[in-house]
Amino acid sequence: MLRTYEKEISWKAGGLALGVHVALLAALLISFNWKAAHPMMNVTEVELWDSIPSNSPSPPVVKIEPPQPSPEPVVKAPPPEPVVKEEVKEIPKEESKADIALEKKKELEQKKAEEKAVKLAEKLAADKLKKEQLAALQAETRQDDMRDADKQAKDKKVAKESNDALKKLQQDALAEGDQQALSAKAAANAGVVDEFKSKIQAKIRGNVNKALCGDGNPELRFEIGLLPTGELSNSPKLVKSSGNAACDEAVERAIIASEPLPLPSDASLFSQFRNLKLKFKPND
Amino acid sequence: MTATVANDMSIFSLVAGASLPVQAVLLVLIITSLFSWWYIFIKLATIKRAETNAEDFEKAFWTGGDLNKLYDGLGAGRRKPQGMASIFEAGFKEFVRHKQQVRAEGKMDVSDVMEGARRAMRAAYNREMDDLDAHLPFLASVGSVSPYIGLFGTVWGIMNSFRGLSSVAQATLSQVAPGIAEALVATAIGLFAAIPAVIAYNRFASTVDRLSVRYESFMEEFTNILQRKS
Repeated sequence: MLRTYEKEISWKAGGLALGVHVALLAALLISFNWKAAHPMMNVTEVELWDSIPSNSPSPPVVKIEPPQPSPEPVVKAPPPEPVVKEEVKEIPKEESKADIALEKKKELEQKKAEEKAVKLAEKLAADKLKKEQLAALQAETRQDDMRDADKQAKDKKVAKESNDALKKLQQDALAEGDQQALSAKAAANAGVVDEFKSKIQAKIRGNVNKALCGDGNPELRFEIGLLPTGELSNSPKLVKSSGNAACDEAVERAIIASEPLPLPSDASLFSQFRNLKLKFKPND
Repeated sequence: MTATVANDMSIFSLVAGASLPVQAVLLVLIITSLFSWWYIFIKLATIKRAETNAEDFEKAFWTGGDLNKLYDGLGAGRRKPQGMASIFEAGFKEFVRHKQQVRAEGKMDVSDVMEGARRAMRAAYNREMDDLDAHLPFLASVGSVSPYIGLFGTVWGIMNSFRGLSSVAQATLSQVAPGIAEALVATAIGLFAAIPAVIAYNRFASTVDRLSVRYESFMEEFTNILQRKS
Protein backbone atom coordinates (compact mmCIF):
# COMPACT_ATOMS: atom_id res chain seq x y z
CA MET A 1 0.00 0.00 0.00
CA LEU A 2 2.76 2.38 0.88
CA ARG A 3 5.93 3.07 -1.07
CA THR A 4 9.19 2.59 0.76
CA TYR A 5 9.99 6.29 0.73
CA GLU A 6 6.59 7.01 2.28
CA LYS A 7 7.11 4.86 5.35
CA GLU A 8 9.12 7.40 7.27
CA ILE A 9 6.30 9.94 7.00
CA SER A 10 3.43 7.47 7.57
CA TRP A 11 3.29 7.76 11.37
CA LYS A 12 3.32 11.51 11.33
CA ALA A 13 0.64 11.58 8.62
CA GLY A 14 -1.49 9.09 10.56
CA GLY A 15 -1.27 11.25 13.67
CA LEU A 16 -2.24 14.34 11.70
CA ALA A 17 -5.20 12.52 10.11
CA LEU A 18 -6.45 11.43 13.52
CA GLY A 19 -5.96 14.97 14.76
CA VAL A 20 -8.13 16.34 11.96
CA HIS A 21 -10.94 13.96 12.88
CA VAL A 22 -10.70 14.71 16.57
CA ALA A 23 -10.85 18.40 15.70
CA LEU A 24 -13.96 17.81 13.62
CA LEU A 25 -15.64 15.91 16.43
CA ALA A 26 -14.75 18.66 18.88
CA ALA A 27 -16.12 21.28 16.51
CA LEU A 28 -19.35 19.29 16.17
CA LEU A 29 -19.72 18.98 19.92
CA ILE A 30 -18.90 22.58 20.68
CA SER A 31 -20.50 24.49 17.84
CA PHE A 32 -23.82 22.65 17.98
CA ASN A 33 -25.85 22.97 21.12
CA TRP A 34 -27.00 19.37 21.01
CA LYS A 35 -29.00 19.60 24.20
CA ALA A 36 -30.83 22.73 23.16
CA ALA A 37 -34.42 22.93 24.34
CA HIS A 38 -36.59 21.62 21.55
CA PRO A 39 -39.47 23.79 20.46
CA MET A 40 -41.72 20.82 21.15
CA MET A 41 -41.04 21.24 24.85
CA ASN A 42 -42.52 24.72 24.86
CA VAL A 43 -45.83 23.65 23.38
CA THR A 44 -48.40 23.22 26.08
CA GLU A 45 -50.90 20.46 25.60
CA VAL A 46 -54.44 21.51 26.30
CA GLU A 47 -57.31 19.13 26.90
CA LEU A 48 -60.79 20.52 26.67
CA TRP A 49 -63.45 19.32 29.05
CA ASP A 50 -67.20 19.84 29.07
CA SER A 51 -67.55 19.35 32.78
CA ILE A 52 -65.37 20.76 35.47
CA PRO A 53 -63.45 18.04 37.31
CA SER A 54 -65.45 16.94 40.34
CA ASN A 55 -62.41 17.29 42.55
CA SER A 56 -63.38 20.74 43.78
CA PRO A 57 -66.80 20.10 45.30
CA SER A 58 -65.67 17.10 47.31
CA PRO A 59 -63.13 18.79 49.63
CA PRO A 60 -65.70 21.03 51.40
CA VAL A 61 -67.86 18.01 52.22
CA VAL A 62 -64.86 16.29 53.68
CA LYS A 63 -63.66 19.42 55.41
CA ILE A 64 -66.93 20.19 57.18
CA GLU A 65 -66.76 16.92 59.00
CA PRO A 66 -63.45 17.30 60.89
CA PRO A 67 -64.73 20.21 63.06
CA GLN A 68 -67.62 18.05 64.29
CA PRO A 69 -65.47 15.85 66.50
CA SER A 70 -64.41 19.03 68.32
CA PRO A 71 -65.82 19.52 71.87
CA GLU A 72 -68.94 21.45 70.76
CA PRO A 73 -70.61 19.52 68.00
CA VAL A 74 -74.07 20.89 68.89
CA VAL A 75 -73.06 24.44 68.07
CA LYS A 76 -71.37 23.63 64.84
CA ALA A 77 -73.83 21.13 63.48
CA PRO A 78 -76.84 23.47 62.97
CA PRO A 79 -75.55 25.07 59.74
CA PRO A 80 -76.79 22.16 57.59
CA GLU A 81 -80.31 22.61 59.08
CA PRO A 82 -81.25 25.93 57.53
CA VAL A 83 -79.98 24.67 54.17
CA VAL A 84 -82.39 21.76 54.33
CA LYS A 85 -85.24 23.90 55.58
CA GLU A 86 -84.73 26.52 52.95
CA GLU A 87 -84.75 23.93 50.25
CA VAL A 88 -87.91 22.46 51.69
CA LYS A 89 -89.60 25.82 51.93
CA GLU A 90 -88.51 27.06 48.58
CA ILE A 91 -90.02 24.24 46.62
CA PRO A 92 -93.58 24.70 47.94
CA LYS A 93 -93.33 28.48 47.52
CA GLU A 94 -92.58 28.13 43.87
CA GLU A 95 -95.36 25.64 43.45
CA SER A 96 -97.87 27.77 45.33
CA LYS A 97 -96.97 30.81 43.24
CA ALA A 98 -97.56 28.82 40.12
CA ASP A 99 -100.81 27.55 41.61
CA ILE A 100 -101.98 31.05 42.49
CA ALA A 101 -101.34 32.16 38.95
CA LEU A 102 -103.23 29.17 37.67
CA GLU A 103 -106.11 29.79 40.04
CA LYS A 104 -106.35 33.44 39.07
CA LYS A 105 -106.50 32.47 35.45
CA LYS A 106 -109.10 29.92 36.21
CA GLU A 107 -111.21 32.40 38.18
CA LEU A 108 -111.10 34.79 35.29
CA GLU A 109 -112.16 32.04 32.98
CA GLN A 110 -114.92 31.12 35.41
CA LYS A 111 -116.23 34.68 35.50
CA LYS A 112 -116.11 34.97 31.76
CA ALA A 113 -117.86 31.66 31.43
CA GLU A 114 -120.58 32.77 33.85
CA GLU A 115 -121.09 36.03 32.01
CA LYS A 116 -121.25 34.15 28.79
CA ALA A 117 -123.71 31.75 30.32
CA VAL A 118 -125.99 34.64 31.37
CA LYS A 119 -125.70 36.51 28.10
CA LEU A 120 -125.88 33.59 25.71
CA ALA A 121 -128.71 31.58 27.20
CA GLU A 122 -129.91 30.69 23.72
CA LYS A 123 -126.88 28.67 22.86
CA LEU A 124 -127.50 25.72 25.13
CA ALA A 125 -125.04 23.48 23.48
CA ALA A 126 -122.30 26.02 23.98
CA ASP A 127 -123.38 26.51 27.52
CA LYS A 128 -123.27 22.84 28.18
CA LEU A 129 -119.80 22.59 26.75
CA LYS A 130 -118.59 25.49 28.80
CA LYS A 131 -120.22 24.14 31.89
CA GLU A 132 -118.50 20.88 31.31
CA GLN A 133 -115.25 22.73 30.87
CA LEU A 134 -115.95 24.63 34.01
CA ALA A 135 -116.64 21.49 35.91
CA ALA A 136 -113.47 19.96 34.60
CA LEU A 137 -111.43 23.03 35.49
CA GLN A 138 -112.92 23.20 38.94
CA ALA A 139 -112.19 19.53 39.46
CA GLU A 140 -108.62 20.13 38.32
CA THR A 141 -108.14 23.03 40.67
CA ARG A 142 -109.45 20.90 43.51
CA GLN A 143 -107.14 18.11 42.62
CA ASP A 144 -104.22 20.56 42.42
CA ASP A 145 -105.09 21.89 45.84
CA MET A 146 -105.21 18.39 47.18
CA ARG A 147 -101.82 17.63 45.66
CA ASP A 148 -100.32 20.76 47.09
CA ALA A 149 -101.59 19.88 50.51
CA ASP A 150 -100.17 16.38 50.20
CA LYS A 151 -96.84 17.70 49.02
CA GLN A 152 -96.57 20.20 51.81
CA ALA A 153 -97.39 17.51 54.32
CA LYS A 154 -94.81 15.21 52.78
CA ASP A 155 -92.22 17.97 52.70
CA LYS A 156 -92.87 18.70 56.32
CA LYS A 157 -92.45 15.04 57.11
CA VAL A 158 -89.18 14.95 55.17
CA ALA A 159 -88.02 18.07 56.95
CA LYS A 160 -88.94 16.57 60.29
CA GLU A 161 -87.18 13.36 59.40
CA SER A 162 -84.10 15.23 58.27
CA ASN A 163 -84.24 17.28 61.44
CA ASP A 164 -84.41 14.09 63.44
CA ALA A 165 -81.56 12.67 61.43
CA LEU A 166 -79.53 15.80 62.00
CA LYS A 167 -80.24 15.67 65.71
CA LYS A 168 -79.14 12.08 65.76
CA LEU A 169 -76.07 13.11 63.79
CA GLN A 170 -75.35 15.75 66.37
CA GLN A 171 -75.79 13.27 69.16
CA ASP A 172 -73.36 10.74 67.86
CA ALA A 173 -71.34 13.04 65.64
CA LEU A 174 -68.08 11.52 66.71
CA ALA A 175 -69.14 8.04 65.70
CA GLU A 176 -70.87 8.89 62.47
CA GLY A 177 -68.57 11.68 61.39
CA ASP A 178 -65.97 9.26 60.23
CA GLN A 179 -68.47 7.14 58.36
CA GLN A 180 -69.91 10.17 56.64
CA ALA A 181 -66.46 11.36 55.72
CA LEU A 182 -65.75 7.95 54.30
CA SER A 183 -68.94 7.88 52.28
CA ALA A 184 -68.37 11.42 51.05
CA LYS A 185 -64.85 10.50 50.14
CA ALA A 186 -66.05 7.41 48.29
CA ALA A 187 -68.51 9.56 46.36
CA ALA A 188 -65.75 12.02 45.51
CA ASN A 189 -63.46 9.18 44.53
CA ALA A 190 -66.11 7.75 42.25
CA GLY A 191 -66.29 11.16 40.60
CA VAL A 192 -62.52 11.26 40.18
CA VAL A 193 -62.43 7.73 38.79
CA ASP A 194 -65.14 8.58 36.26
CA GLU A 195 -63.35 11.75 35.36
CA PHE A 196 -60.06 9.98 34.73
CA LYS A 197 -61.79 7.22 32.81
CA SER A 198 -63.25 9.78 30.50
CA LYS A 199 -59.84 11.48 30.33
CA ILE A 200 -58.22 8.20 29.29
CA GLN A 201 -60.87 7.66 26.67
CA ALA A 202 -60.51 11.17 25.35
CA LYS A 203 -56.75 10.83 25.09
CA ILE A 204 -57.05 7.55 23.19
CA ARG A 205 -59.79 8.95 21.00
CA GLY A 206 -57.49 11.77 19.98
CA ASN A 207 -55.04 9.23 18.57
CA VAL A 208 -57.53 7.12 16.66
CA ASN A 209 -57.30 7.35 12.92
CA LYS A 210 -61.01 7.76 12.28
CA ALA A 211 -60.65 7.36 8.54
CA LEU A 212 -60.06 3.63 9.08
CA CYS A 213 -63.42 3.11 10.79
CA GLY A 214 -65.64 3.82 7.81
CA ASP A 215 -68.84 5.82 7.72
CA GLY A 216 -70.94 3.88 10.22
CA ASN A 217 -70.86 4.18 13.96
CA PRO A 218 -69.00 1.05 15.08
CA GLU A 219 -68.61 0.32 18.76
CA LEU A 220 -65.62 -1.52 20.19
CA ARG A 221 -64.69 -2.63 23.64
CA PHE A 222 -61.13 -3.00 24.83
CA GLU A 223 -59.79 -4.32 28.07
CA ILE A 224 -56.51 -2.76 29.12
CA GLY A 225 -54.21 -3.31 32.06
CA LEU A 226 -52.42 -0.32 33.50
CA LEU A 227 -49.28 0.20 35.56
CA PRO A 228 -49.13 2.92 38.24
CA THR A 229 -47.00 4.96 35.83
CA GLY A 230 -49.84 5.13 33.33
CA GLU A 231 -48.21 2.68 30.97
CA LEU A 232 -49.84 -0.47 29.70
CA SER A 233 -49.02 -3.63 31.64
CA ASN A 234 -49.96 -5.83 28.70
CA SER A 235 -51.22 -5.39 25.18
CA PRO A 236 -54.86 -4.27 25.01
CA LYS A 237 -57.39 -7.06 24.61
CA LEU A 238 -60.19 -6.72 22.14
CA VAL A 239 -63.39 -7.70 23.94
CA LYS A 240 -65.88 -6.65 21.32
CA SER A 241 -64.84 -6.05 17.74
CA SER A 242 -66.35 -3.39 15.54
CA GLY A 243 -66.45 -5.91 12.71
CA ASN A 244 -63.80 -3.95 10.87
CA ALA A 245 -60.30 -5.28 11.47
CA ALA A 246 -58.65 -2.04 10.32
CA CYS A 247 -60.76 -0.06 12.78
CA ASP A 248 -59.89 -2.45 15.62
CA GLU A 249 -56.21 -2.10 14.84
CA ALA A 250 -56.47 1.67 14.61
CA VAL A 251 -57.98 1.83 18.09
CA GLU A 252 -55.38 -0.59 19.45
CA ARG A 253 -52.58 1.50 17.98
CA ALA A 254 -54.18 4.59 19.46
CA ILE A 255 -54.23 2.96 22.89
CA ILE A 256 -50.54 2.10 22.61
CA ALA A 257 -49.71 5.55 21.27
CA SER A 258 -51.54 7.22 24.17
CA GLU A 259 -49.06 5.97 26.73
CA PRO A 260 -48.70 7.19 29.40
CA LEU A 261 -52.40 7.40 30.16
CA PRO A 262 -53.61 9.96 32.68
CA LEU A 263 -54.10 8.56 36.19
CA PRO A 264 -55.22 10.30 39.36
CA SER A 265 -52.40 11.40 41.63
CA ASP A 266 -54.07 9.57 44.51
CA ALA A 267 -52.34 6.17 44.57
CA SER A 268 -55.17 4.55 46.52
CA LEU A 269 -57.45 4.93 43.51
CA PHE A 270 -55.12 3.02 41.23
CA SER A 271 -56.72 -0.33 42.03
CA GLN A 272 -59.73 0.78 39.99
CA PHE A 273 -57.51 1.40 36.96
CA ARG A 274 -55.51 -1.80 37.03
CA ASN A 275 -57.96 -3.43 34.68
CA LEU A 276 -60.05 -1.08 32.66
CA LYS A 277 -62.85 -1.91 30.27
CA LEU A 278 -63.21 0.88 27.80
CA LYS A 279 -65.89 1.46 25.18
CA PHE A 280 -65.06 3.31 22.01
CA LYS A 281 -67.20 4.88 19.36
CA PRO A 282 -64.62 6.38 17.00
CA ASN A 283 -67.17 8.14 14.83
CA ASP A 284 -69.30 9.46 17.64
CA MET B 1 -44.07 10.24 22.56
CA THR B 2 -42.92 12.80 25.07
CA ALA B 3 -40.09 10.44 25.95
CA THR B 4 -38.53 10.80 22.51
CA VAL B 5 -38.79 14.55 22.70
CA ALA B 6 -37.11 14.61 26.07
CA ASN B 7 -34.14 12.61 24.75
CA ASP B 8 -31.00 14.61 24.34
CA MET B 9 -29.81 14.72 20.76
CA SER B 10 -26.08 14.40 21.34
CA ILE B 11 -24.12 13.07 18.39
CA PHE B 12 -23.33 9.89 20.29
CA SER B 13 -26.95 9.07 21.06
CA LEU B 14 -27.82 9.84 17.45
CA VAL B 15 -25.24 7.38 16.15
CA ALA B 16 -26.13 4.77 18.76
CA GLY B 17 -29.82 5.06 17.91
CA ALA B 18 -29.30 4.66 14.18
CA SER B 19 -30.26 1.46 12.41
CA LEU B 20 -27.60 -1.13 11.54
CA PRO B 21 -27.13 -0.22 7.83
CA VAL B 22 -26.75 3.43 8.76
CA GLN B 23 -24.18 2.54 11.40
CA ALA B 24 -22.30 0.41 8.85
CA VAL B 25 -22.31 3.32 6.40
CA LEU B 26 -21.01 5.62 9.12
CA LEU B 27 -18.21 3.19 9.94
CA VAL B 28 -17.19 2.83 6.29
CA LEU B 29 -17.20 6.58 5.83
CA ILE B 30 -15.12 7.24 8.95
CA ILE B 31 -12.53 4.66 7.88
CA THR B 32 -12.47 6.09 4.36
CA SER B 33 -12.09 9.59 5.72
CA LEU B 34 -9.23 8.53 8.00
CA PHE B 35 -7.41 6.87 5.11
CA SER B 36 -7.95 9.75 2.74
CA TRP B 37 -6.56 12.21 5.28
CA TRP B 38 -3.64 9.91 5.93
CA TYR B 39 -2.83 9.79 2.22
CA ILE B 40 -3.35 13.53 1.95
CA PHE B 41 -0.71 14.18 4.59
CA ILE B 42 1.66 11.60 3.10
CA LYS B 43 1.20 13.10 -0.36
CA LEU B 44 1.68 16.63 0.92
CA ALA B 45 5.01 15.65 2.44
CA THR B 46 6.28 13.54 -0.46
CA ILE B 47 5.31 15.98 -3.20
CA LYS B 48 6.85 18.84 -1.30
CA ARG B 49 10.02 16.81 -0.95
CA ALA B 50 10.01 15.97 -4.68
CA GLU B 51 9.71 19.68 -5.50
CA THR B 52 12.60 20.71 -3.24
CA ASN B 53 14.66 17.80 -4.59
CA ALA B 54 14.05 18.95 -8.18
CA GLU B 55 14.92 22.50 -7.20
CA ASP B 56 18.16 21.45 -5.51
CA PHE B 57 19.21 19.14 -8.33
CA GLU B 58 18.52 21.72 -11.05
CA LYS B 59 20.62 24.22 -9.13
CA ALA B 60 23.49 21.73 -8.80
CA PHE B 61 23.17 20.64 -12.45
CA TRP B 62 23.08 24.09 -14.02
CA THR B 63 25.92 25.55 -11.99
CA GLY B 64 28.03 23.91 -14.63
CA GLY B 65 30.13 21.42 -12.69
CA ASP B 66 31.58 18.20 -14.01
CA LEU B 67 28.84 15.66 -14.78
CA ASN B 68 31.06 12.78 -13.63
CA LYS B 69 31.50 14.43 -10.25
CA LEU B 70 27.76 14.99 -9.97
CA TYR B 71 27.14 11.36 -10.83
CA ASP B 72 29.68 10.13 -8.28
CA GLY B 73 28.19 12.40 -5.65
CA LEU B 74 24.74 10.91 -6.24
CA GLY B 75 26.06 7.37 -6.08
CA ALA B 76 27.98 8.04 -2.89
CA GLY B 77 24.81 9.19 -1.03
CA ARG B 78 23.25 6.74 1.35
CA ARG B 79 19.83 7.13 -0.21
CA LYS B 80 18.76 6.01 -3.59
CA PRO B 81 18.45 9.17 -5.68
CA GLN B 82 14.90 10.36 -6.30
CA GLY B 83 13.12 12.46 -8.86
CA MET B 84 15.24 14.36 -11.33
CA ALA B 85 18.40 12.94 -9.78
CA SER B 86 17.33 9.38 -10.50
CA ILE B 87 16.53 10.30 -14.13
CA PHE B 88 19.96 11.88 -14.46
CA GLU B 89 21.63 8.88 -12.85
CA ALA B 90 19.88 6.38 -15.12
CA GLY B 91 20.60 8.39 -18.26
CA PHE B 92 24.22 9.09 -17.40
CA LYS B 93 24.91 5.49 -16.34
CA GLU B 94 23.55 4.16 -19.60
CA PHE B 95 25.48 6.77 -21.58
CA VAL B 96 28.78 5.92 -19.86
CA ARG B 97 28.24 2.20 -20.33
CA HIS B 98 27.44 2.62 -24.02
CA LYS B 99 30.47 4.81 -24.48
CA GLN B 100 32.73 2.22 -22.86
CA GLN B 101 31.23 -0.52 -25.02
CA VAL B 102 31.64 1.58 -28.15
CA ARG B 103 35.19 2.38 -27.19
CA ALA B 104 35.96 -1.33 -26.60
CA GLU B 105 34.41 -2.42 -29.83
CA GLY B 106 35.91 0.45 -31.77
CA LYS B 107 32.68 1.42 -33.42
CA MET B 108 31.28 4.94 -33.04
CA ASP B 109 27.51 5.37 -33.53
CA VAL B 110 26.14 8.44 -31.77
CA SER B 111 22.48 7.68 -32.41
CA ASP B 112 22.76 4.24 -30.75
CA VAL B 113 24.34 5.72 -27.63
CA MET B 114 21.79 8.50 -27.43
CA GLU B 115 18.92 6.12 -28.00
CA GLY B 116 20.05 3.88 -25.13
CA ALA B 117 20.46 6.81 -22.71
CA ARG B 118 17.05 8.15 -23.72
CA ARG B 119 15.35 4.81 -23.08
CA ALA B 120 16.97 4.53 -19.65
CA MET B 121 15.84 8.05 -18.74
CA ARG B 122 12.34 7.32 -19.99
CA ALA B 123 12.14 4.24 -17.75
CA ALA B 124 13.36 6.20 -14.72
CA TYR B 125 10.89 8.99 -15.53
CA ASN B 126 8.00 6.50 -15.64
CA ARG B 127 9.00 5.07 -12.28
CA GLU B 128 9.15 8.54 -10.78
CA MET B 129 5.76 9.47 -12.23
CA ASP B 130 4.29 6.29 -10.80
CA ASP B 131 5.55 7.24 -7.37
CA LEU B 132 4.20 10.77 -7.70
CA ASP B 133 0.80 9.55 -8.86
CA ALA B 134 0.52 7.01 -6.04
CA HIS B 135 -2.72 7.25 -3.96
CA LEU B 136 -4.18 9.92 -6.21
CA PRO B 137 -6.76 7.48 -7.68
CA PHE B 138 -7.82 6.62 -4.13
CA LEU B 139 -8.38 10.28 -3.32
CA ALA B 140 -10.30 10.71 -6.57
CA SER B 141 -12.65 7.82 -5.84
CA VAL B 142 -13.18 8.93 -2.23
CA GLY B 143 -14.04 12.38 -3.51
CA SER B 144 -16.58 11.10 -5.98
CA VAL B 145 -18.08 8.10 -4.14
CA SER B 146 -18.27 9.01 -0.45
CA PRO B 147 -21.10 11.56 -0.89
CA TYR B 148 -23.13 8.78 -2.47
CA ILE B 149 -22.36 6.40 0.39
CA GLY B 150 -23.45 9.08 2.82
CA LEU B 151 -26.58 9.73 0.80
CA PHE B 152 -27.37 6.03 0.87
CA GLY B 153 -27.16 6.03 4.66
CA THR B 154 -29.36 9.11 4.85
CA VAL B 155 -32.02 7.71 2.54
CA TRP B 156 -32.06 4.48 4.49
CA GLY B 157 -32.43 6.29 7.80
CA ILE B 158 -35.19 8.55 6.52
CA MET B 159 -37.02 5.57 5.05
CA ASN B 160 -36.94 3.93 8.48
CA SER B 161 -38.13 6.98 10.32
CA PHE B 162 -41.02 7.50 7.91
CA ARG B 163 -42.01 3.87 8.14
CA GLY B 164 -42.30 4.37 11.90
CA LEU B 165 -44.71 7.24 11.22
CA SER B 166 -47.20 5.06 9.38
CA SER B 167 -48.34 3.36 12.59
CA VAL B 168 -49.28 6.60 14.31
CA ALA B 169 -52.51 8.46 13.73
CA GLN B 170 -51.22 11.91 14.57
CA ALA B 171 -47.86 12.51 12.96
CA THR B 172 -45.78 15.07 14.76
CA LEU B 173 -42.38 16.42 13.84
CA SER B 174 -40.91 15.07 17.05
CA GLN B 175 -41.51 11.53 15.85
CA VAL B 176 -39.53 12.00 12.63
CA ALA B 177 -36.95 14.54 13.65
CA PRO B 178 -34.53 12.26 15.55
CA GLY B 179 -34.54 9.71 12.73
CA ILE B 180 -33.85 12.36 10.11
CA ALA B 181 -31.16 13.95 12.24
CA GLU B 182 -29.34 10.65 12.69
CA ALA B 183 -29.72 9.92 9.00
CA LEU B 184 -28.25 13.28 8.07
CA VAL B 185 -25.15 12.52 10.13
CA ALA B 186 -24.26 10.02 7.39
CA THR B 187 -24.41 12.71 4.69
CA ALA B 188 -22.37 15.06 6.85
CA ILE B 189 -19.58 12.53 7.31
CA GLY B 190 -19.69 11.61 3.61
CA LEU B 191 -19.21 15.25 2.67
CA PHE B 192 -16.50 15.66 5.28
CA ALA B 193 -14.60 12.81 3.63
CA ALA B 194 -15.27 13.94 0.07
CA ILE B 195 -14.51 17.65 0.15
CA PRO B 196 -10.88 17.46 1.35
CA ALA B 197 -10.25 14.49 -0.93
CA VAL B 198 -11.43 16.39 -4.02
CA ILE B 199 -9.47 19.52 -3.11
CA ALA B 200 -6.34 17.50 -2.36
CA TYR B 201 -6.72 15.46 -5.54
CA ASN B 202 -6.97 18.55 -7.72
CA ARG B 203 -4.02 20.19 -6.01
CA PHE B 204 -1.81 17.12 -6.16
CA ALA B 205 -2.74 16.38 -9.77
CA SER B 206 -1.73 19.86 -10.89
CA THR B 207 1.51 19.72 -8.87
CA VAL B 208 2.35 16.32 -10.34
CA ASP B 209 1.63 17.67 -13.83
CA ARG B 210 4.00 20.57 -13.27
CA LEU B 211 6.69 18.22 -11.96
CA SER B 212 6.32 15.89 -14.92
CA VAL B 213 6.72 18.81 -17.34
CA ARG B 214 9.82 19.81 -15.44
CA TYR B 215 11.23 16.26 -15.62
CA GLU B 216 10.51 16.00 -19.33
CA SER B 217 12.15 19.29 -20.15
CA PHE B 218 15.15 18.26 -18.06
CA MET B 219 15.32 14.99 -20.05
CA GLU B 220 15.37 16.90 -23.36
CA GLU B 221 18.01 19.29 -22.17
CA PHE B 222 20.15 16.54 -20.70
CA THR B 223 19.88 14.57 -23.96
CA ASN B 224 21.23 17.58 -25.81
CA ILE B 225 24.14 17.87 -23.41
CA LEU B 226 24.94 14.16 -23.73
CA GLN B 227 24.76 14.42 -27.51
CA ARG B 228 27.26 17.22 -27.47
CA LYS B 229 29.58 15.20 -25.24
CA SER B 230 29.46 12.06 -27.27
